[in-house]
Amino acid sequence: MSSSTSDSPQRLVDPWRFAGNFLRNVLSSQIPNEPNHEPIPWAPLRKPVSQSKVALVSTAGLSMKGDAPFDMELERKRPTRGDPSWRALRADATSETIEANHLHIDTGYILRDLNVALPLDRLREFAGAGEIGSVADTHYSIMGYQGNDSSELATVSAPQIAASMKNEEVDLALLAPV
Amino acid sequence: MGLVARAIEAAGIPTVTLNMIWPVQRLIGMPRVAAIEHPFGRPYGDVGDVETQSNVLRAALEVATSATEPGGVVHLPFVWPEDPKETQWHPAEPSPIIAMIKKSRSS
Repeated sequence: MSSSTSDSPQRLVDPWRFAGNFLRNVLSSQIPNEPNHEPIPWAPLRKPVSQSKVALVSTAGLSMKGDAPFDMELERKRPTRGDPSWRALRADATSETIEANHLHIDTGYILRDLNVALPLDRLREFAGAGEIGSVADTHYSIMGYQGNDSSELATVSAPQIAASMKNEEVDLALLAPV
Repeated sequence: MGLVARAIEAAGIPTVTLNMIWPVQRLIGMPRVAAIEHPFGRPYGDVGDVETQSNVLRAALEVATSATEPGGVVHLPFVWPEDPKETQWHPAEPSPIIAMIKKSRSS
């Protein structure tokens, strides 16, 4: 089934449409009513998207088959912690060549069509059509649930992902949670 | 996810972050957010729905061009075709933290 599009320019996304009351209560209790974060970093777009090398990032706990999968036993033993590591994914990754480990979603959709969370096929089509410049050689996954301690993700994994993108001269990164 | 976007941006690479629960922007502060009303697990669209996957990808890429200052949230117009009650996204068994919270509330 295809999503339709609303033609109301004022329509705001309902963040809780699919959450259900329980998850809504748990999550909304952690979100402040006013912005409460460090100053936001900003890197201007240096070239048009049509000339940019693009890399994708997913929080779906994706790993290439043959690489170490994300560690779900850690979280089963200590539910307030999630695996803070990251994985590199090849640009030709597909549902057949990846694993998805994430205890908070039904990963079955990703295992049938990776593009629902990491649209590498679509990105390749965009490069072929000139909508983007090129597809980066490497894409990335973390496992989105970090429980009450995201310090290792922030201080180790995130800077390593950023350094890898710099090394591959990525111009634009597109991230999507699951 | 937001922490990763901030680190990439701090390294000099612009980012766009799709987000279902976009109010977390107030907590994390991501450079560019594209809010999307899709179920958890399928942010770009349904299995085999090439058209929606392309349209969401294109809309997110457009935010890279249209955003002019840090912290903005662009609300994408996509409407998921199923009623939430019929949309299956939960794992087969509750996540460990949800199971723990439910257990503590029931005891």
